[in-house]
Amino acid sequence: MSITNNRHAIAIFALHLTTTLSASSSFSLPCPSPPPPSSRVRRRRPTVIATPPTPSIRACSFLRSSSSSSSTVPPTSSLSDDDGNDDDPPPSSSSSSSSSSSSSSWWKDYKFNDPHLAHSVIGDFPILSTRFDADGKMTSSSSLVDDERDAGGGGGTGGGKADRRLIYLDSAATSHKPSVVTDALISYYETMNSNVHRGAHALSRESTEAYECARDKVASFVNARDRNEVIFTSGATEAINLVATSLSCREGGGREYRLIGEGDEILITEAEHHSNIVPWQMAASRTGATLRYVPASSVSDGFDVSALMGGLVNDRTKLVSIQHVSNVLGTINPIGDIVDYVRDNASPDVLILLDACQSVPHMKVDVRALGVDFVVASGHKMCGPTGIGFLWGREDVLNGMAPYKGGGEMIDEVYMDGSTYARSPARFEAGTPPIAQAIGLGAAIDYINGIGIDRIHEYEIELGDYLRRRLEDVEGVTVLGPRVGVERAALCSFVSDVVHPSDLGTFLDLEGVAIRSGHHCCQPLHRALGHSHSARASLYFYNTKEDVDDFVSALEGTLGFFRSLTSGTTVDGKDGNIVAETNDDDPFVPLF
Amino acid sequence: MLAAASLRRVARIAHSRCPAFAPVAVGDTNATAGGGRRGYHENIIEHYENPRNVGSLDKNDDDVGTGLVGAPACGDVMKLQIKVDENGIIQDSKFKTFGCGSAIASSSVATEWVKGKHVDEVLAIKNTDIAAHLKLPPVKLHCSMLAEDAIRASVNDWKAKKEAKNAAA
Repeated sequence: MSITNNRHAIAIFALHLTTTLSASSSFSLPCPSPPPPSSRVRRRRPTVIATPPTPSIRACSFLRSSSSSSSTVPPTSSLSDDDGNDDDPPPSSSSSSSSSSSSSSWWKDYKFNDPHLAHSVIGDFPILSTRFDADGKMTSSSSLVDDERDAGGGGGTGGGKADRRLIYLDSAATSHKPSVVTDALISYYETMNSNVHRGAHALSRESTEAYECARDKVASFVNARDRNEVIFTSGATEAINLVATSLSCREGGGREYRLIGEGDEILITEAEHHSNIVPWQMAASRTGATLRYVPASSVSDGFDVSALMGGLVNDRTKLVSIQHVSNVLGTINPIGDIVDYVRDNASPDVLILLDACQSVPHMKVDVRALGVDFVVASGHKMCGPTGIGFLWGREDVLNGMAPYKGGGEMIDEVYMDGSTYARSPARFEAGTPPIAQAIGLGAAIDYINGIGIDRIHEYEIELGDYLRRRLEDVEGVTVLGPRVGVERAALCSFVSDVVHPSDLGTFLDLEGVAIRSGHHCCQPLHRALGHSHSARASLYFYNTKEDVDDFVSALEGTLGFFRSLTSGTTVDGKDGNIVAETNDDDPFVPLF
Repeated sequence: MLAAASLRRVARIAHSRCPAFAPVAVGDTNATAGGGRRGYHENIIEHYENPRNVGSLDKNDDDVGTGLVGAPACGDVMKLQIKVDENGIIQDSKFKTFGCGSAIASSSVATEWVKGKHVDEVLAIKNTDIAAHLKLPPVKLHCSMLAEDAIRASVNDWKAKKEAKNAAA
């Protein structure tokens, strides 16, 4: 009986070992010491731009070929590029620019190059059929046709809009999810829910396959060299904290890790999101490194690239962390040029982190072409669920970094007097991972690929330009960020001379328009721009021309209303705030 | 910490209003020609257009209590001051607010309500009373909370000054 039990135990152990080993592409070894800096060659950004994925990245590469666990579900509508332009010949690029300065109704006849994209996907997003009744209560309508408005609604005033549709212009904060993503979440919990990597049974195999398949999808989406370069986190904020903490923590055990130390410099910018500022402040405080900021541009286009290249980088610079696209200004930064400059002028072992939260959902981000060392992004901004994001990192860099969180999964061997750690990605995925969320993100990537990230990007270039031009025509509104005609993300932050952004948000909300008002987690940037807060409209590929038109109409109405109220007041400020007469000696200073 | 430019932007000058100026009639707040658009209640609009007691008292005055409260998350900042007589009755009150219409209205109401009351009595003023009077939208309740905090802060400041003065005497 004991022999049978032993054989049984050995069989189970062998199966477990097989499962564990197949989950990571190599044996777990103690982390090798990184070579000393002098032997490193300064790396330049590779000149090859877009290369197809290498053979090591295949969809669900390490899994068996069964597609039962996760399938690529194309969007419900036909979205080939050939369909878009059948009815509307694309206008020449000069047509919009020639009419923007003349008639104020240029926009009424304006036709998008790809007018069908948004309309064809709206049906995939149940939440976009939300409507508000006359009392402001939310209802979900199965009807997606906007001209089916109830006439008079619940017997109220005649002639007015009794119910309004949701116009969601806050996708920079979070995007909506298509049904395939929510279905994937439910499907995981209902058909394959099980902990990954550690089980020998069928459900565990299913969930592990689906989870690791999602990793492959992310790797392919950003053109990573290897699946081991993708680490799942709870979001971009955690990903940045992972890097900052790992590079700044002292870890015992005599292992040599890549670390930032006293006397080193960390360079970020004044335009960064707080999630790309505060972790570095903490890291600098822990290590004694110096934190430096590239100042915001005086022309409000983002951070001052010429200042970055004008002496802020030196041979003590060990870490540079910058945004790809500004979530406030919509500025798209010239990452390639910045990377080249940093590689030439910083310490030879400098690391460059790219905050790609506002770029990965909207345009092709090729980590190899960009030449950076880390990329972070959040799944919930790209049609994925909340609670998931990822860190992409160069494999050799990751394997030279100290762990971030300790616990199960990230270890190789655990003894009472110490432990050895697994290689990336397991090293940085302690504990039970966000399995369902990662699978949901995989489904979101499939959905986006089904439409085509390039098609989405092209549409948003035009949509963002259209939004910018429409806002340019609104009296009393100042749009922050790049001027008309400069390519930007499909988002606009703006201030008004008569209305506080918070009041704008409230009044637009009553019209069914969802924008965001505040500092958008960029207080230093707002201080540099001289505004306490701003209002922001941010779009995604499910927003239509009508969304922008209705938003501008509601905005003009709100501004007109407030203008009629404050006719007895001289406004000196831009933010619509009432402070006081200033005849006293106590000039009012806001707390921040 | 703040650039001079932003200080200028902060200071919005309100000229003294012509007494004949009447507030916009916004009984049901559907003030637009097309009708059907909801907005702030007329009480908020009234205080926004005609804020009461805007200004400053001398913060170095022993009889003046100054409460400066802020909510950096939404950016609203309120300064509310009270002038208290020897019996503890608030004789005058002034405010300055940096914020949205609801914040301005809440602090304006607060200065009206504290006048003529004893300092301990005004501590009973609750934000829900202010919100109910103004019919604040639910999302703006925090503005009335800020006004309640400003009242308390000004009373506490006056009391602290009084205690310090008594201790020194």
